[in-house]
Formats: sequence, C-alpha cells, structure tokens
Amino acid sequence: MKDKLSLKDVSTVEGQMVSIDLKDLPELALDVKPMPWKPFTEEQKENTACILDDVCVLNIPKPKNPQEEEELVNKFLEGMRKLFSKENNWTCLPMLESSMENCVQCNSCSEACHLWEMSGKNEMYRPNYRSEIFRRIYHQYIKKEPFAKWRYGDIGLNWKTVARLGELAYRCNVCRRCAQTCPIGVDNGLIAREIRKLFSQELGIHPRELHEKGTMNQLKVGSSTGMTPEVVRENVEFIDEDYSEITGVGITTPFDVKGADIMLLHNAGEIMAWPENIAAFSLIFQEAGLSWTLSSKAVAYDGVNYGVFYDDAQLARIALDHMLAAKELGVKKVVVGECGHANKALTVLADRVIPYEYQVPRESCYVTLRDIILAGRLKLDPSRNDFPVTLHDPCNVVRLMGIVKPQRDILHKIAPKFREMPCHGVHNYCCGGGSGFAIMTRNNIDEWRGNISGRKKLWQIGEAFKECLGPETKKYICAPCSNCKGQIRELLEHNDLYSKNSFAYGGLVELIVNAMSNVQPGFIKWEGDE
Amino acid sequence: MMTLFYLLGYLAVLGFICLAALKIRTYLKASPLHIRWELYPVPHEGPKKEAYGGSYMEEKNWWTHKRHVDHWEDIKAILVEVLCLHATYEHNPKLWIRTYPFHVGMYMLMGGTIILVCAVVLQLFGVDPEGGLMIFVANVINAVVLLGAFCIAGGGIALIIRRREDEGLKKYTTAEQYINLGSFVVFGVLTLCAWAFNPSYYQLARDFIYNLFTFNFQPLGSSWFVLNMLVGFFLMIAIPVTNMGHLIMKYFMYHDIRWGDEATIYSDKNKKIIDEMLQYQVTWSAPHIAGDGTPRNWVDVATTNPAAPKNDE
Ligand code: SF4
Ligand code: SF4
Repeated sequence: MKDKLSLKDVSTVEGQMVSIDLKDLPELALDVKPMPWKPFTEEQKENTACILDDVCVLNIPKPKNPQEEEELVNKFLEGMRKLFSKENNWTCLPMLESSMENCVQCNSCSEACHLWEMSGKNEMYRPNYRSEIFRRIYHQYIKKEPFAKWRYGDIGLNWKTVARLGELAYRCNVCRRCAQTCPIGVDNGLIAREIRKLFSQELGIHPRELHEKGTMNQLKVGSSTGMTPEVVRENVEFIDEDYSEITGVGITTPFDVKGADIMLLHNAGEIMAWPENIAAFSLIFQEAGLSWTLSSKAVAYDGVNYGVFYDDAQLARIALDHMLAAKELGVKKVVVGECGHANKALTVLADRVIPYEYQVPRESCYVTLRDIILAGRLKLDPSRNDFPVTLHDPCNVVRLMGIVKPQRDILHKIAPKFREMPCHGVHNYCCGGGSGFAIMTRNNIDEWRGNISGRKKLWQIGEAFKECLGPETKKYICAPCSNCKGQIRELLEHNDLYSKNSFAYGGLVELIVNAMSNVQPGFIKWEGDE
Repeated sequence: MMTLFYLLGYLAVLGFICLAALKIRTYLKASPLHIRWELYPVPHEGPKKEAYGGSYMEEKNWWTHKRHVDHWEDIKAILVEVLCLHATYEHNPKLWIRTYPFHVGMYMLMGGTIILVCAVVLQLFGVDPEGGLMIFVANVINAVVLLGAFCIAGGGIALIIRRREDEGLKKYTTAEQYINLGSFVVFGVLTLCAWAFNPSYYQLARDFIYNLFTFNFQPLGSSWFVLNMLVGFFLMIAIPVTNMGHLIMKYFMYHDIRWGDEATIYSDKNKKIIDEMLQYQVTWSAPHIAGDGTPRNWVDVATTNPAAPKNDE
C-alpha cells in the first residue's frame, strides 16, 4: 500500500496498490456512514488481478506464469496499436490522438472530478493519473519515439501495468466534467472509455454486467433485463391494469402501431423496477392525445445501449436495431424516454455511425413533455406538488447533449417549490452510477458507489434541501434517468435517508402525473404512505 | 559563421511551418469523420443558449428547423480563451497567476514580430526607415519587447517553481517540460540582455528580418542578439513537436471536437463519408467482433449479431 503514489507504482507495487482510508472521505451535511470495504478472499487474491484498490470490476484472471504474463502484455499492445489505427478506430481517433499529444500536465482538471475530491484527493483518482500512464505507454511502446523515456517520463509495462490500467479505466464515470474544465480540450473521460474499448474489442475483457448480462443479453433475447417481447407485452399490460386502478384513469399502452407519429423508447429496466414511470408516460401521452406506440420487437423495446460505455461494435449493433424498428413501424420520430445514455447513444453517437438512410429523427422526452405541458394539453394542479423538489441533471443528456431547459420549464410549471442543486445544469456532477456502475454490485462496487462516486451527489442533495432536512418535510429528488435513479435509490437506501429525511425520488413524468387534476391524488409515494 | 546563423533562421521558420502543417495534417488525416463528442456549452448556439449550455436538440422536431450557427460567438469564445486563458483562470487560479504573464509575454513578442515583418515590407517598398512612422514603430517594439521578455522570464521562472513545489504538479512534470520552460526563461533573459546592452533592440531585429528577406547575411553587431535568436530558433522547432503544440491544436480541439455538434441531417458531405468509413476493414480480435476471424468491414460487424444462436446449435 502506498500513500505517496507515483505513476511508476502501477508497474512495480506487489499486491493491492491503493486503499482508500474511509477516514479521508469528506464530511457531508446528510447523515451518511461510510461503508467498510470487504476484504478480497484468498481465492480472489490467488486467481484474480484485484491489485488496484479495494474494488475489482474486470476480474482479469491473474497470469499463472511468465508466458501468460507476456501474452497479456502483447495482446494489450496489439490492441493499443489497433486503437491508434484509422480503420479500427475512425470513430474516436482524432479525439484520442489529440488527448495523447497535447496535455500540458496543468492538473486544472483534478478539482472538477468528484471521484478525486470525494476520495479525499487520492492520487489514483486524479483524472490525469490513468491518462498519463496510457500516454507514456503510447509514446514509449507504440510510437516508439526517440528519447521517449526521457521526454515523457518512463513507465514500466508488465502484466501489472496492463491489469491495473484496465481497472483504472473503470474508476471513472465518463462524465466528462474534467474535459469541460481543460484549457486545451484534452478529455480524460474519453481516454478512460478508449481503454475500456481496447480491453473489450481486443482482449474480450469487459464487466459482465455490461457485456454478457448487458449488450449480449439484449442482442440475444431483446433486453438487458432478460425480458423477451412476450414478457414485455405482458408486463406492460399488468402495469396498465394496476395504474388504471391507482390513478382512476384507464390506461392502454399501444404496441406496434404502424404509422404512429412517435415510437417511444423506454429503458426496459423501468418496466421491472419503476413501473410507475411506464404508466406515467402512457398516461401523459394518452391524455395529451399523441399518436404514439411502443415497439415489441426484440432490442427495440429496450432503449438501453451499454455499448456507449465500453464497446463501439455493440453500440452500433444496438443503435441499428433501434433505428430499423422505428423504420419498420414508419414512425415520424423516436422519442427516447427517461434514460440519459439511451438519449445520447441514439441521438448523438449513432448520428455518425448509422448510415443516414437508416436513421429516423430522435427527440428527447424532456422536449416532448415540455411541449405537452406548455401547450396546456394536460389539466394540471401544481398545488398537488407543494413539496420541495430538486433536479438531478443526467450528464449524458445535459452536459453532453445540451438539453437543459425543457425539464426546467416543466418543473417551473408544476413544482412551486422547485430549487436547483448547487453546480447544476451543464456543470452538474455525475450521480456516481454513470458509465455502467449503477448496475454493478459486486467486489465492493456498491461500497465504492456509496463511499466515493455517489458522495458528491449526496452533498448536492443535502445542499439543495439544507433548510428542510429531517423527517418533517417531504422532499422529492427528480432524477429523470433510469441509471441515475438506480444509483440514487442505493444512496438513499444504504443510509436510510428515506425515513431520516423523508426523501422520495423518481422521474419527471411521475411528478407531472402527480399534478394532473384528473388523476387520483398521491401518485408519488413517500415511506409510510399507503 | 554569420551565414550559418542566417541559414538556421531560415530553417527555423521553414521547420516551424512544415512541422505545424504536419501536425494539423496528422489530425485531419486521423479520420475523415469522427463520432460526435461535443461538450456543452457550445458558443455557436448563440448567446442565449450558450449562457446555460443549451443546444438545438432542446427544440421540438429540431431536424425540421434550419440550422443556425453563430460563428461570431465561436470566434469570441476562442479569443477570450486564448487571450485571457479563461479556463485556467476559472479552474486553476494559482497556475493562472503564473502562466498568464508567461503567455501574454509570448503574445507580445509574437505580435511584435508581426509588426516588425510589416515594417520591413514597408521599408522594402521604399518607406523611409528613419521617418516618423518607423520611429513610432521602433518605440512600440522596444516597449513591447521589454515588457514581453520580462513576462516570459518572470512567468517561466514562476511556473518552474510552482511545478517543483506543488506535489501534484511535480509528479506529472516531465524533463521535456522543464527544458521547454527553461528555454523560454533563457530566451526571455537573453532578450532582456540584447535590449539592455544595445542602443535599439528594434534596429537589431529589423535589420535581421530585412537581411533574411534580402538574403544579405551581414553581421548584426550584437552577440546577445545572436544568442537570443538561436534560442528562439530552437523554440520555433520545439513548439510543434512537443506538447507546446497545443498552441496550434487548440483550435481543432475546440472547434472540431468540443463544439463539433453538426447533425448528419445538415451535412450531405458527412452522409457520404459515413458510408465510406463503414467499409474500413476491422481487425479487432475479441470473439464478439471477430467471429470466425475472417476480415470484415464495419458494415459486416454492425449487422452481425454475436449473440444469435449458431447454425450448428
Ligand atoms: S487534461 Fe487538460 S486540465 Fe488536465 S492536466 Fe491535461 S491539460 Fe491540464
Ligand atoms: S470523466 Fe468524470 S469521473 Fe472520469 S475523470 Fe473526468 S471528471 Fe472524473
């Protein structure tokens, strides 16, 4: 273990390189307790490269002999060469190369990173730590520049460097807040994603939640949740029935309506974890008189696209399936539901990956909903939302797509006690579940999300409600993104903040339905509510 | 000896132009079109949207609207960034105090050089070098050089000290960066010496540029100035080949990446390029991409389902 971590330690230290001392974590206004790290088992230590910190995401098998060590390094270098070739990486090469060549090591990006700040400013979490290791390998072993060791600083390349670099790529939420502050335009978030890509596309190493259980499952059965088309239709029918009863308004969710104006694309996780979100969308679209449909085609009923986080091929495959389903239905546009990465995947990333003739216009649901609300298509009684509300900005939609105002226009109409978090809008902080972490819970990943990655969000929430903390006042955290909601749920649950602070969390549509005067009151529930 | 000095001068100018062009070419050739990787705020969305970081995607049916790009806002934003080092000021004020004078010093000397070149051109066209205009230029150049050299030397020393004293910065600062900063400090000090120990720095610099233009390799009469220029030549080559090249690349990193938000619907050129790029051969080896290992292009990759049941199953 090292306190004074240096870049070279990545190749030299034996065993676990860093441990975050929980005493170093900054204090918060909210009553939250650090979650102790669970030690790795002897078997894990023996067989898995759990050698970075207290967390292990990739489960890279530990090489058993020098040949295996060499093989890992060679494969990594082979992948790195491909990463720097136009044919294999035309999608990101200009961004990657310019981030490799132009960093001036000013560390202006450090303060912007919630992980660095909330780990007690641990060196390993400096946004530039992993980038600089990767950069040195690039100059020394890929470009083989003369005097590279001297010019850029030496770095040892062995199996430990490779395994730790792979893990380091997963100590970043790819929120790109650091990139926003860089005076040059260097992007440490991009570098993290590129390393992830190299591991996935060349070495076949990826977190199982993103790959086997994620994209592969989606491509196999239709959804990363494992739901087949039949199950989805059944579940949505149940949701319609349940929420017709709860709201007092008959809800019918349409499927596969050819020629509808809109194909709505939900994150299918909502169907299982937050059925109220599905029901709220259906209710709003129905009451607003929109012409819309869901698709029951495999892949196209799940807007999730985890390829965004780690793999270009998987990203393209899923985005293509989404577009083809919309084409087949002949809709005028796809409206992407409350899922940040799904919005960015389909609207921004797919835009230069999918041939134009296969593209269908895409719109964020925040925009569609804003139009419905401002056009007065729903009967609303904002006094039903007479409790403090704050808004979490999902990085993917806000900082990375510039969709900032529509959700606020809605809140100003329906939530009289709406207040911003500190550092909101494009300067927001990640919820801590970004880039795939929200769905991972093993090997201290949930502890990491609670202790470090989600800590800044807890600070923001505490600050937003600072005059009404405590159980007396009911409060609502509006997080219009499925992954962010998952993360916020964990943060609240672990610390029992539902009862300690009377928090409820949910999306934007739930808050809209809660204010609809033709719906039975009390759509949003707090702990203890019937 | 003097001829060699002038030759080095030509080489430095030529070297700078070629290396900078090569750097830009390498960037442009890396990919005909990369994915969109924008980061908001994007200034060309106009002042209203830029103020909070909004984009055209906030509008209902945005693809049916004519795209409006406010180029002036982009220019304004990059000027503010380059001239004020705004991002560093906002996010790293301790560094800004040191790096700002350093950069301003450089800008002053670069600006001074441009003015000098213009003065020489005027002289070549017959303007009296001893006339009022040139005397005014001489005074301006002498003042700018003095101030600029002070800023470079002082800022450079302050930056080196900061990089030695701040534990975080120290770990990341490479030998090359110290050499670069050190060279700038030496350059600044030599400029000050040449300024102090000669009757007019302007005259020396003007004569040097005039001689370069007229291929007249006359001695300049000041060893300080010659040394000053030699370090300057070295820096001209060092800028494009080290991370100081950000001076050149920043434009692309802002305009093309950070603010590169053009949707494909608005670009017929991009529509074509996407199809071409999808023909590139893919050699990634992971099983979910390579499949049976035969060479394939991106279209094949994107239209293959690695999770589909195999035929023999
Ligand atoms: S990434 Fe940017 S902000 Fe961070 S150290 Fe490099 S140049 Fe500075
Ligand atoms: S992308 Fe976000 S999490 Fe990753 S290093 Fe930058 S600020 Fe930190």
